Amino acid sequence: MSGFIQQIINGLSIGSVYALMAVGYSLVYSIMNFSNFAHGGIIMFGAYFGFFFMTLYKFPFSVAFIASGICAALMAILVERVAYKPLRDRRAPFLYFIISAMGVSIFLENIIIATIGPTFRTYPEVFSAQPIKIGNLAIGRIDLTMFIISAVFLVLLIYLIDHTKIGKAIQATSFNMKASALMGINTDFIILLVFGLGGFLAGLAGVLFGMKYTVYPQIGNITLKSFIAAVFGGLGSLQGAVIGSVLLGIIETITSGYISSQYRDLIAFVLLIFILVVRPMGLMGKVTEDKA
Amino acid sequence: MKKFLSLLVVFALVISLFSGCAKKEAGDVIKVGWIGPLSGDQAVWGQCESNAVKMFFEELNNNGGLLGKKVEVVAYDTRGDGTEAVNAVRRLTSQDKVIAIIGPNSSGQAIPISSILEEMKVPDIATVATNPKVTVVDGKVKPFNFRICFIDPYQGAVAAGYAIDVLGFKKAAILYDIGDDYSQGLTQYFEETFTKKGGQVVAKEGFKTGDVDFRPQLTKIKAANPDIIFMPYYYKEVALSAKQARELGITATLMGGDGWPSEQLMTMAGDAVEGSYIINHLDFDDPEVQPFRNKYKQKFGKDSEINGYLATDACTLLVEAIKKANSFEGEKIKEALEGIEIKGITGNIKIGKDTHNPENKEAAIIKIENGKYKFVEKYAVK
Repeated sequence: MSGFIQQIINGLSIGSVYALMAVGYSLVYSIMNFSNFAHGGIIMFGAYFGFFFMTLYKFPFSVAFIASGICAALMAILVERVAYKPLRDRRAPFLYFIISAMGVSIFLENIIIATIGPTFRTYPEVFSAQPIKIGNLAIGRIDLTMFIISAVFLVLLIYLIDHTKIGKAIQATSFNMKASALMGINTDFIILLVFGLGGFLAGLAGVLFGMKYTVYPQIGNITLKSFIAAVFGGLGSLQGAVIGSVLLGIIETITSGYISSQYRDLIAFVLLIFILVVRPMGLMGKVTEDKA
Repeated sequence: MKKFLSLLVVFALVISLFSGCAKKEAGDVIKVGWIGPLSGDQAVWGQCESNAVKMFFEELNNNGGLLGKKVEVVAYDTRGDGTEAVNAVRRLTSQDKVIAIIGPNSSGQAIPISSILEEMKVPDIATVATNPKVTVVDGKVKPFNFRICFIDPYQGAVAAGYAIDVLGFKKAAILYDIGDDYSQGLTQYFEETFTKKGGQVVAKEGFKTGDVDFRPQLTKIKAANPDIIFMPYYYKEVALSAKQARELGITATLMGGDGWPSEQLMTMAGDAVEGSYIINHLDFDDPEVQPFRNKYKQKFGKDSEINGYLATDACTLLVEAIKKANSFEGEKIKEALEGIEIKGITGNIKIGKDTHNPENKEAAIIKIENGKYKFVEKYAVK
C-alpha cells in the first residue's frame, strides 16, 4: 500500500512539471491555433538563465527564479516577433507557423551547444536532498516545492484569464481574433502578452526542471511529453492541460510500478491514443475544427 | 572547331584536376579517421578521445612519422548516434580515404558501421564499445572490426562475481536502459553470472534513454529489498537515479560499469554514490598510467577521461600493426592486427584471432570513498 501511495506521489511530482510546460502550449494554441514547438527551446533557455544567475552572478534562488522567468518571457516575445509576426502579417497557412517553430527550436538548441557547450551542468543545491519522511513514504523537498510553485502560478494564471479584463480580452481573441480586433481589442498586444505569459511559465519550468535534474541543451525534448499531455487534456484549455499532465504523470508511474517499466511509454501512449479516439477533443477541450 | 577546342581544354583541366588529387594521395601524408561524439550526451568522452588521438599522432609525426609518412587525423562527430556513425564512416572511407579508423566509443555506434568497413576494407578499432556484437556475430568474427577494451560479458560477469564472491551479497536488483545495447549486454551477463553463483536477482527494471525520473522503478526495487543495485549505464542517468534512490530511502550498495567514471559524476551525484563500486578498464592511480595522465593534463589543462587512455592504446595498436604489416593497405593491417601483442597503458593487450578482442584483461575494481575514486584491486572473474 505504501508503495502505491509512493507511486502516486512520484506521479504527481512528474505531472506537475509537465503541467507548467503544457499550459504554455495551450495558451499559445488557444490564441494562434498552432502548436508552438519552440516552447521547448524557451524552457531550456530558462534553465540556463537560472543556472547562470545562480552560479555566475550568485543571485539568491528567489531572485534568480523570477529573473529567469522574465528573461524567458522576453525571449518568447522576441521569438514571436522574429519568427511568427512576419508570417502573421502575410496571413501564411498554419503549417508555416509549425515549420517556423521547429526551426526556432532547432536553432535555440544548437546555439547553446555552439556557445555554452553540450555538457551537463548541475544547479547549486538550494533544497536539501534529504526527503521529508512520513512513515515509509519519502517526499522530495524539491518535488514539494515544485508542486506548490506550479500550483500557485497555475492558479494565478487561471485567475488572470477568468476574472480580469485582460483575461477577457485574451478569451475573446482566442474565440475570434478578427471580431475582437473590430471590437477595439489590440490583438497584437494580446498575442505578445500570451507569448510573454507562456514564456514566463516556461522559464520557471526550466529552472525547476534544471534544479531537479540537470541542465543540458536537449532539455527541451521533455516538452514532447507535455505537448502530448496538453493534447490529451484538450489543447486550448488550461484546466485540461493541467489535468492531462497530472494524469499522464500518474499513468506513467503506475504502469512502471505495476505492469512493467519496459512498457511504460508503450502502454501510456496506447491509452492516450485510445482516449483521443473516443474523445478527439481531449478531456476538457472545446469542439472546434482542428488546426494543429 | 572552336567548340571542339574548348571541349579539349575542359578535358585537359579535368585531367589535371584528377592528377592533382592522385599526387596528393601518393604524397607524404596518410590519413587516419576518428569517429565519436563531439556533441550531445556523450560529448565529454568524444572530446577527450579526439584530443588523445590527435596528441598521439602529433607526437608520432614529430618523431619521424610512420613508415616515413606523416599521419593526419580526420575527426567526425557522431553525436553518439548510430546513423551518424554510419554516415561518418562512409565519408571517411570514400571521401577522405583513411587507412584505418579509431573509435567509436560505444557499441550502439560501433555495431552498425561494420558493413561499410567490410565493403571499403578499412579496419576499425573501437575504444570503449564493450558489446560482444561489435566484433562477433552468431559465432562469426567480423573481419574489419577490432576493439581495445574488454567486452560486456566480462564486465557484467566481473561485477557479479565481485559482488557475490568478494562482497558477499546474495540479493541483487538491476536497473537498466532498455534502449541501449551496452546496458542490455551488461545486464544479461550480470544476471547469468550472479544466478550461476547462487545469488538471486530480486528485481529487474528498465528505463529508456533520455529519461530523467527513475522513482517509479526505484520504488519497485525498494520493495524487493536488495543488497546491491547494479546500474549498467552512463553517468548522467547514474547521478540522477542514485540521487533519487537515496531520496526514496534506498541504502543498498550501488555498482556500475565503465559508463560511470567521469569527473562530472561526483559533482552531479554528490553523496548518493558514496561507497559504490565500479568495474573499469584501468585505474587512474596505477603508477603505469601516470606518464600519459600528466602529459594530457599538461596539454589540455584537465584530467583525461578513461577514453583517452583506451584511444591512445588503440592508436599504439594500429601503429604497431602497420609496422608489422609494413603497409598501409586495409587488408594487410587487418591481418597484422590479428594475434598482435602490445604493451599499452591499460595493460598487456593480445588481440585474439577469432574474437578480435583483447584477451584475459584484468579489470580494475574501484570504490568511491569521500567523493574520490579509490582503486581497490585488480580482479578477474573465475
